[in-house]
Amino acid sequence: MSQAAVQPGPRLGIDVGGTNTDAVVMVDDQVIAAVKRLTTRDVGDGVMNAVGAVLDTAGVRPSDLSNVMVGTTQFINAFVQRKHLERVAAVRVSLPKADGIPPMVAWPKDLLEVVGEQCYMVGGGSFYDGKAYAPLGVEELQQAAHEIRRQGIRSIAVTSNFAPVRPDIEQQAAKVLLSVLPDADITLSSEVGGLGLIDRENAALINASLRSLSRNVVSSLQAAFARIGVTAPIYLSQNDGTLISTDYATRFPIVTCSAGPTNSIRGAAFLTKMQDAIVIDIGGTTSDFGFLVRGFPRETATAHLIGGVRTNFRMPDVLSIALGGGTLVRFDGDTPRLGPDSVGYQLGERALVFGGSELTTTDIAVRAGQAAIGDPQRVKHIEPRKVDAVLDAIHRKLEDAIDQMKTNSKPVPVILVGGGHVLVSRPLRGVSEIHRPKHAEVANAVGAAIALVSGRVDKIYDFAALGRDTALEQARQEARSAALAAGAAADSVEVVDVVELPMTHMRTGAVQVKVRAVGRLAAT
Amino acid sequence: MYTVATDQDIQDMARGAVFLGSGGGGDPYVGELYLRRQLAEGRPARIVKAAELPDDAFVISIAGVGAPTVLVEHLVSTNTLLRLLEASQQFYGRKVDALISAEIGGANSMFPLALGARAGIPVIDGDGMGRAFPHLEMTTFSVYGCSVCPSVLMDDAGNVVHVQTTTDRIAEDVVRAICASLGSMIYGSFYPMSGKQAQQLAVHDTISHTLEIGRRIRLARESQSDPIRDLLEFLNRPAEQRHARELFNGRIVDVRHETRDGWHWGEALINSGRGDAPEFSIEIQNEYLIARHEGRTVTLVPDLIAVLDAESAEPLTAEMLSYGQRVTVIGYSAAPIMRRAESLKVFGPRMFGIDEDFHGVEQLVPERRKRA
Repeated sequence: MSQAAVQPGPRLGIDVGGTNTDAVVMVDDQVIAAVKRLTTRDVGDGVMNAVGAVLDTAGVRPSDLSNVMVGTTQFINAFVQRKHLERVAAVRVSLPKADGIPPMVAWPKDLLEVVGEQCYMVGGGSFYDGKAYAPLGVEELQQAAHEIRRQGIRSIAVTSNFAPVRPDIEQQAAKVLLSVLPDADITLSSEVGGLGLIDRENAALINASLRSLSRNVVSSLQAAFARIGVTAPIYLSQNDGTLISTDYATRFPIVTCSAGPTNSIRGAAFLTKMQDAIVIDIGGTTSDFGFLVRGFPRETATAHLIGGVRTNFRMPDVLSIALGGGTLVRFDGDTPRLGPDSVGYQLGERALVFGGSELTTTDIAVRAGQAAIGDPQRVKHIEPRKVDAVLDAIHRKLEDAIDQMKTNSKPVPVILVGGGHVLVSRPLRGVSEIHRPKHAEVANAVGAAIALVSGRVDKIYDFAALGRDTALEQARQEARSAALAAGAAADSVEVVDVVELPMTHMRTGAVQVKVRAVGRLAAT
Repeated sequence: MYTVATDQDIQDMARGAVFLGSGGGGDPYVGELYLRRQLAEGRPARIVKAAELPDDAFVISIAGVGAPTVLVEHLVSTNTLLRLLEASQQFYGRKVDALISAEIGGANSMFPLALGARAGIPVIDGDGMGRAFPHLEMTTFSVYGCSVCPSVLMDDAGNVVHVQTTTDRIAEDVVRAICASLGSMIYGSFYPMSGKQAQQLAVHDTISHTLEIGRRIRLARESQSDPIRDLLEFLNRPAEQRHARELFNGRIVDVRHETRDGWHWGEALINSGRGDAPEFSIEIQNEYLIARHEGRTVTLVPDLIAVLDAESAEPLTAEMLSYGQRVTVIGYSAAPIMRRAESLKVFGPRMFGIDEDFHGVEQLVPERRKRA
């Protein structure tokens, strides 16, 4: 995969994290300017601060920008913290099937308290071959819609049996609901997930709970850019590191939920030109470990939880440990204890070097001469013996996590990114070399700025009729064409993912094939 | 007798059931959620040893029949299972005293537990194979004298079919054909047997085994120790004729899936990273059937092959294998009853088109490798 994104004109990459908003201006594959600002309650304000500063530094006028790419963890953070979520209604079109496992069965209690437990099951659905097994329960749907209105809920997730094969059944059901609730936001499961009713329904429900937040966040971003005179198209990063429009993000916030780690891993790859490495993003509160394989983040093999809810999204395989630049340091006698609590975004007030009264890992790094921030006089009293002991503990903790990510004992290269990289001062066990690229502290924003566009195919092919090779080649071609149609430059498109799922236990040659092709955004 | 009283127990069992599935049997997640739903409603599953039942107790197997890809969409209907139980008791003319799983590997480990919990019937700690197999007749029940028929089938629409065939092999074909004509996911009552037959014919303690395997993996992860090493230590009990071997560790470099005559055929190739050519292969026929290291057979059916995520030790079904995954492969001896000559005639290597005599994993891989 060619890492160089070569669009003409400067482009802006922004990463809106829970603590920091990072921004970079890039021209071709050069980072021209980079800034880090605190994230604000109104996301737009923090973005404006960061963008204003980075454009000043770069000497670029807002109207000169060719593209704006935004990565944000707002939506996933909101879901995980149960903040700004709206109440939702789950409508499942499946009876007489699936009554044994109603929607939201395994959801955490604290989440149900926020989004409610409004579940409706109605008649309808399809066999695997697309034949409907029961008529759509129109009257039940109308009754459900009236009840949903009485409950004051306006976001609904509709899931029907075998919706990936028969999306029209969900569309019909949505039409009935909209006839009673014309202003409802409806998420159809077929729009957010593949086969596997529960995981797909969960994804649709998570998405439904984020709809009003996504409207607010996206319009706040748009307004902020308009105020400072940015006229370039705005894109958001999605889970696989590729871009989506603001309209799409408003309707499908869930597809951005793991863009943060993806951007950080891809940004690290870009900055070092490396293809295979462990990427450690050391922030204020946590260190996130990702595995870079052939230029892309390694993805999880199995279904996984988002905020305690199982989905079947493919996400980067990230290990998080409680260790960052704001992690509190305490002593039992001479033995240091790290965290797990952190001063987080209050580092600038509470750490010793910034005039605060709490000893953090950053203070230790300053005392050891590894970082030149704040006032070194304020940590001069810490005995070198204790500094050494804390540094030992930090390195041991990182080494343990590196070991967990690895699959054999062979030493691997490590790329350190994120503001907390100053904590590392020594060689790490099991690591062949440590890279600290320039702009490591804004790797997320770089990852957003080099984002790609993708094309996907998810179809059933008849291997018996076509032969496996022909069928797969056909699927690859279709994915490539879809990437081109999405705006990719022709010479950059590459197939990065091929998954085959045969319809087993049935006497057919039908195989579900999923192919994803990606390429960089073509010059416009 | 004990009850499955926590969600964590259920999750451990589901993980263990995938391990024993030897790649097949489907993802037990649907069954796991269904069982958790019973628990949440105050109905824990009760598990009894076969020896605790009276000899003349009446026992049946409840199982889902169909395609795993269909199960994850159609899920399961309580209405259907309760009607099936009712129809079965009427048909057999006896109240059911206990349920038994025919297949502990994968999804069918959970349905008897959930229905038992719902209907207040205990479930026997055992099954008919201690793993997963693609055919209805591939059980110790069938090999040692209890027929799959008469059996009762039901779909979610309420269609009922009674099946009586001359051999269990024919029952398999008939049930499969009925299943295909009813949307590829149905439920059935099979193997009506006495308490005494359950004691004599079952592979025992397999429900407890799923729980212990799942728990081992979880505890090792929680304590940051090597879950695969812990699991091998637990499984390897030569005194009880159970042997476990770590067969290979590497990255999946190709997975070929195809459908032959309605069954999932495939092959996974694994590379250790030391050279370019993949050194290890696993042949799949719904389940993992035979594992070869540089062409030499290291484990074959009915012994179990488990493919685990190399870091988390999460067991992976054949459908979950994909390019690029880092995996560890374990060979695990089947229960002694599964390795007898009579058993091998029904589910030995030759029944799957493999022209090799069965040899146990402990003969094929005599030395236990030390984990790095």
